[in-house]
Amino acid sequence: MRALIVDDSRTMRMIVGNILQEIGFETGNAGNGLEALTWIEQNGFPELACVDWNMPEMNGLEFVREVRQRSGNEAMKIMMITTESEADNVMAALESGANEYLMKPFSKDSVADKLTLLGVRP
Amino acid sequence: MTDPLNEFFVESLENLDQYDADLLILEKTPNSPRTIASVFRTLHTIKGTCGFLALHKLEAIAHAGENLLVLIRDGTLPFTQGIATALLATGDAIRAIISELEANKREGDFDHSELIGTLVRLQNPESAPSAPSAPSAPSAPSAPSAPSAPSAPVHEAELPVTSKALDNTVRINVEVLDTLMNLVGELVLTRNQLVQLASTVQSGPLPAAAHRLSHITTELQDRMMKTRVQPIDTLWSKLPRTIRDLAHLCKKQVRLQTEGADTEMDRTIVDAIKDPMTHLLRNSVDHGIESPEVRKAAGKNPEGTILLRAFHAAGLVTIEIIDDGGGINVDRVKGRAIERKLITQETADKMHHKDLVNLIFLPGFSTAEAVSMVSGRGVGMDVVKTQIEKIGGIVDVNSEVGKGTTCRIKIPLTLAIIPVVIVGCCGERFAIPQTNLLEVIRLDQNLIIESVHETPVVRLRGSLLPVVVLQKVLKLQGERSTVRHLAVLHVGARHFGLVVDSIHEAEEIVVKPIGRALMSLSCFAGSTILGDGHVALILDIFGIGSLSNLFDVDHMPGLAHAEVERMEDSPESKTLTELLVFRVGGTRAALPLEMVHRLEEFPAKDVECCAGKEVIQYAGGILPLISVARALGLPETAADANIIQTIIYRHQENSIGLIIEGVEVIVKEAVELQTAGRRSGVLGSAIVGRRVTEFVDVSEIVRIYAPEFMQCSR
Repeated sequence: MRALIVDDSRTMRMIVGNILQEIGFETGNAGNGLEALTWIEQNGFPELACVDWNMPEMNGLEFVREVRQRSGNEAMKIMMITTESEADNVMAALESGANEYLMKPFSKDSVADKLTLLGVRP
Repeated sequence: MTDPLNEFFVESLENLDQYDADLLILEKTPNSPRTIASVFRTLHTIKGTCGFLALHKLEAIAHAGENLLVLIRDGTLPFTQGIATALLATGDAIRAIISELEANKREGDFDHSELIGTLVRLQNPESAPSAPSAPSAPSAPSAPSAPSAPSAPVHEAELPVTSKALDNTVRINVEVLDTLMNLVGELVLTRNQLVQLASTVQSGPLPAAAHRLSHITTELQDRMMKTRVQPIDTLWSKLPRTIRDLAHLCKKQVRLQTEGADTEMDRTIVDAIKDPMTHLLRNSVDHGIESPEVRKAAGKNPEGTILLRAFHAAGLVTIEIIDDGGGINVDRVKGRAIERKLITQETADKMHHKDLVNLIFLPGFSTAEAVSMVSGRGVGMDVVKTQIEKIGGIVDVNSEVGKGTTCRIKIPLTLAIIPVVIVGCCGERFAIPQTNLLEVIRLDQNLIIESVHETPVVRLRGSLLPVVVLQKVLKLQGERSTVRHLAVLHVGARHFGLVVDSIHEAEEIVVKPIGRALMSLSCFAGSTILGDGHVALILDIFGIGSLSNLFDVDHMPGLAHAEVERMEDSPESKTLTELLVFRVGGTRAALPLEMVHRLEEFPAKDVECCAGKEVIQYAGGILPLISVARALGLPETAADANIIQTIIYRHQENSIGLIIEGVEVIVKEAVELQTAGRRSGVLGSAIVGRRVTEFVDVSEIVRIYAPEFMQCSR
């Protein structure tokens, strides 16, 4: 199973990537929404996208809205990664087509639990 | 896989550079949403990541800064100078914690409550109208925070678009590149050997293979060199912050512009010019740009401009620092140089305007008056010149009173592979860098070494050129050859001749660092392996000149004929020491400059008494004070009773303040210490600048008057 990590911080991509790989995903990286769209165009839809909120060029919400317009996206679950201060935005994201959210900081177990709920487990 | 913690350090430090640059942009154009978003994102990312890495102090600071930025981003709070200062301080605090983490794996004992307090207070401007400025930063005289005055070109404010080539780029540790470069160097040397070997074979496949190897090696070397280049912007991008802080400190308004920031050069060169560049810039702000009032009165824009320009020309990199300040007053330079006995009145009268301006590079020219907080401990322009000449560069200054000053530095592109000429002396071979070599002349009956006041010179086209015999400098044993040659050399504007036995071929050589045992010898710059496998030492022309006392103050270009006499006292084997000369108790005293950590002035009323000792609060700690006059049994005098002048002396982690009457000058001299009449606290006396000067024994004074200082350092 493949997961795409969309975050502008290399450190966060590494942290999230380590967790997802331990769970058994193959991971791909994108630094913002635009790069994520390009990745999808080249590699097809992954089973999971973990999307940060605040990114340059195209932020997380803009990405969710954009990607949900595209055909064939239904198979992809989207998990937003947010902080406490962005809690209000979670609703907007869920309304636009995100499936779940994770609040920073999170542990491997909490990620695994959410993924079980979503039904994406390798 | 890399450790997320390391990645976090690298990424955060990168982002903080952009963060600083963005804040400076916001000071000029406060309502740039993109820039505010970028600043916000940096702190937001750091805060968010801290939770995973259990870095609670860091998280608290980033969080406080983030909260303040939310208000600015949402438009509820205007961006002000005070906020900029506090946010810059936030960036510095984060950097400090990261470097502590890198070194000791701990967040350190910094107390950031004051900073966090300031950040919280700033969220509510009405409650504390005068408070909002971070601890150490005085607010600017006229804070240009009005959002309607974007006189600066707005293009500067545009954010650089994040690199699209992300996937095609690999980050490599510089050490890896250096190792590769070293290996390529070895390969070049082996190639040279093989090619020489192959040239003895006339037929067969060997010559062709060697030829091909030679080609590939040259190309590989060329490409390898290119991987180590960095744009000068890596250095320049850190400067706007320096300039801003400095301008605030000097109560001046300065705008920094750059041209040719993408000019590339070897990273060793970028490293090497960092200090001299920063020093020259500090000088431009401190002494060049006038205060806004003076500028207004002169009909200039109250905001001064410093332009940094870099470009490639003739295989060299030229860097110019151009300010539109008050310029250098030639008459004052002349006056001071004569007063300091650096030149005579007659010589000064004969000198051109340009040469007079360049007198500021003479050792001993910087005076106590020029020593300010900004210029640190007052190292002179001569140090800048020395640093640049060490890497084979030159520096000169042009100035017009009232219009400004231009400082021009020319430096080579790389230090790793240099063109040299191989010379022979007593059967050994040495390499002379081409950058130092002007011409090579055969010594015969038309050109003989004469002696003027026991100093060897030759008459070359009507002027006297001081001469150094390589055999003597290096104390080489061997047959003196019948035919000898003279290599005419220059270091910056200073010329001299070097007598050698023979001149061999010109070569491009790979510079190898010299063995540790030889490192202390100033006459060698490195070593290399020649085509035949022999090792040759690379001569350090500056070192040889200094060792022969050729670069003393009196040997300026054009002065050579007049003052050869100075060289009469033993031209060899004396090394120059940099000395800080100061007054204490009516006496002239000196200390080696390397023992001086800083020079500081304190208001006399700030001196406090603690356990029977005089102390003062300094840099967040308690600085013990010792009166040098009292220690030497001299009367305690001060030029100004309200101010105490101190030399900060550091021993390991501890500092102590030595109270003196005032600083006189910094000089470079060969010292001959007379220990007759030695007394407590004094090492002896010597003649410095033609006057008797006592040498203070700091360690003895400290041992007697502050024994606890030495103890706690163990």
